[in-house]
Amino acid sequence: MTLSLPQRLKRELAATPLDGAVSAVLIVAITAAAIGFLGWAFGRAQWLVIQANGTLLAVGRYPVEQQWRLWLLVGLLAAATGLGWGLLRGRRWPFNDRLASVLLVALGLWAPAALGLSLPLQVRWWAITALLLGLRWAFGRWGAAGLARLHPRVRRLLPLGFPLLYLIGLWLIAGGLGLGSVAPSEWGGLLLTLLMASLAMLLSFPLGVLLALGRRSELPLLRWGSVLYIEFIRGAPLITLLFLGQNILGFLLPGGLAPDRVWRAAAVLTLFCAAYLAEAVRSGLAAVPRGQVEAARSLGLSVPQTLGAVVLPQALRTALPTMVGQFISLLQDTTLLSLIGLLDLLGMARSVMANPAYLGKNAEVYLTLAVLFWCCCAALGLGSRALERRLDTTRPA
Amino acid sequence: MNQPSAECMIEARGVQKWYPNGFHALRGVDLTVHRGEVVVVMGPSGSGKSTFIRTFNALEDFQQGSITVDGRALSNDLRDIDAIRREVGMVFQQFNLFPHLSVLENLTLAPIQVRKRPKAEVEEQAYALLERVGIREQADKYPGQLSGGQQQRVAIARSLCMEPRILLFDEPTSSLDPEMVREVLEVMRNLAADGMTMVVVTHEVGFAREVAHRVVLMAEGQVVEEADPATFFTNPSHERSRQFLAQIL
Repeated sequence: MTLSLPQRLKRELAATPLDGAVSAVLIVAITAAAIGFLGWAFGRAQWLVIQANGTLLAVGRYPVEQQWRLWLLVGLLAAATGLGWGLLRGRRWPFNDRLASVLLVALGLWAPAALGLSLPLQVRWWAITALLLGLRWAFGRWGAAGLARLHPRVRRLLPLGFPLLYLIGLWLIAGGLGLGSVAPSEWGGLLLTLLMASLAMLLSFPLGVLLALGRRSELPLLRWGSVLYIEFIRGAPLITLLFLGQNILGFLLPGGLAPDRVWRAAAVLTLFCAAYLAEAVRSGLAAVPRGQVEAARSLGLSVPQTLGAVVLPQALRTALPTMVGQFISLLQDTTLLSLIGLLDLLGMARSVMANPAYLGKNAEVYLTLAVLFWCCCAALGLGSRALERRLDTTRPA
Repeated sequence: MNQPSAECMIEARGVQKWYPNGFHALRGVDLTVHRGEVVVVMGPSGSGKSTFIRTFNALEDFQQGSITVDGRALSNDLRDIDAIRREVGMVFQQFNLFPHLSVLENLTLAPIQVRKRPKAEVEEQAYALLERVGIREQADKYPGQLSGGQQQRVAIARSLCMEPRILLFDEPTSSLDPEMVREVLEVMRNLAADGMTMVVVTHEVGFAREVAHRVVLMAEGQVVEEADPATFFTNPSHERSRQFLAQIL
């Protein structure tokens, strides 16, 4: 039975008098809030503070003459995204893909103009957007055929491209090996936030898995060591650990030998996140039925083979949503770095707001920060859900 | 019916097992299984029959007695245990297929990783085995997409892919819907006809009558009666056997 629009509205908004009253109140409240917000955002708000400090918020005090390296990195990331996206979808352009493309084009045209970038920079932005969508189209069309022509041994090496890209990214950011080096103290803003979060995610994952396995080990020392570590870290607030990390290495190592504050903070974030990941992985391990191990062992698989081929893949699949939730918290927790004096996105924003020229522009800055963080977290969430669907082997064929 | 040879595949002598909670699960069990023989183990639940056959591939340990499998004595030496497990396949009541791997990958995992055989060759063999159990067309599906009977046939094919010398069945049809029991028993019947050495814990009287060379009745952790199926089902010599048969026939 199909309902006409008024009928459907009545059923969904005002099926009973109480429903109707609730709907009416909510409609009034939402409309008032939206009018108020839009009136502020497009009327009274002065976005000059973002325009003038866009570069600071994005990369901090990264030397201007070296910023081409970051543009190159963004280009590489866009290329990798387009490539992977195209290979994943092939020739199909489902609704979500079309929507994402339209949003990307809109962002590519609007953002550089809204930020008041110079024309060459605007052109760079357009080129990167075009590169992403162009590769999405090209690899969707010919990628699978090209891949099939590669030697199987080469094809198996392709996933290594992702860690390689990450290392190239680190090299481009930090320099060395022929590039002028840029000290970590000069990294800042969104660049530092994303770098710290991604580094901690990548390193804490293997550490968390090892801790979870250690906690279930039959060796008492290993088990108690893991328990002690996990419970200690989980019992302490991140901010105290960050301060501890800044101080303790200074005491332990003589002056010049202690690594830079940025690396120390990255280490603390990694160690912190690993403890929480370990608990997520442990619950995943506990969810693997005993019969799985028995079946694997009775087929002659050794303990490490059973773990690697049977137990861990299932445990990690179960733990995936919790782990991604943990990664999202980690991304948000990087704002604590501003409290130990690092100029991450929040730290940079606070230093911008401390400038007398932009006094009282807090709302504009904080709103920009919130939107940036929301975009990153939404991307993580979307990626995780796509991965969950791909790994779901119970769906009907 | 295929005739067993005199060669001894499993020899259990005076096996005793206590669970950690003190329960005396096996109270001196003896059993000899010859090459090519099909032995059906029956008995009420809690009689220790599953526990007993799970000692053959060291999924359960035991405290006293001795078990020799394919000429190798079961000991605490892990290398010996792995060597025995390679030669002894097991089919479980709950199938225990690997849900994250396709049917084909379920079959090829152990031969590739344990026996280090080339992938292409193992896959060819896996397709042939799936053909033999009648589900070749399901090779690319995942276990969760198959019916119970199909899953159990995949589990049998998975064991066979390791080319075991002995197959253990731990109540292979007990968690199947009645209409799926037949397809699994059919596969087992064919295996027996091909001369596979099999030890089967089951309540399927029809299968025992038709396929078994010997039926063993266990109760309270002991072997109560051991006889050929004709004698066992029509003229058992112990009172305990008669009680059990009265309940299931």
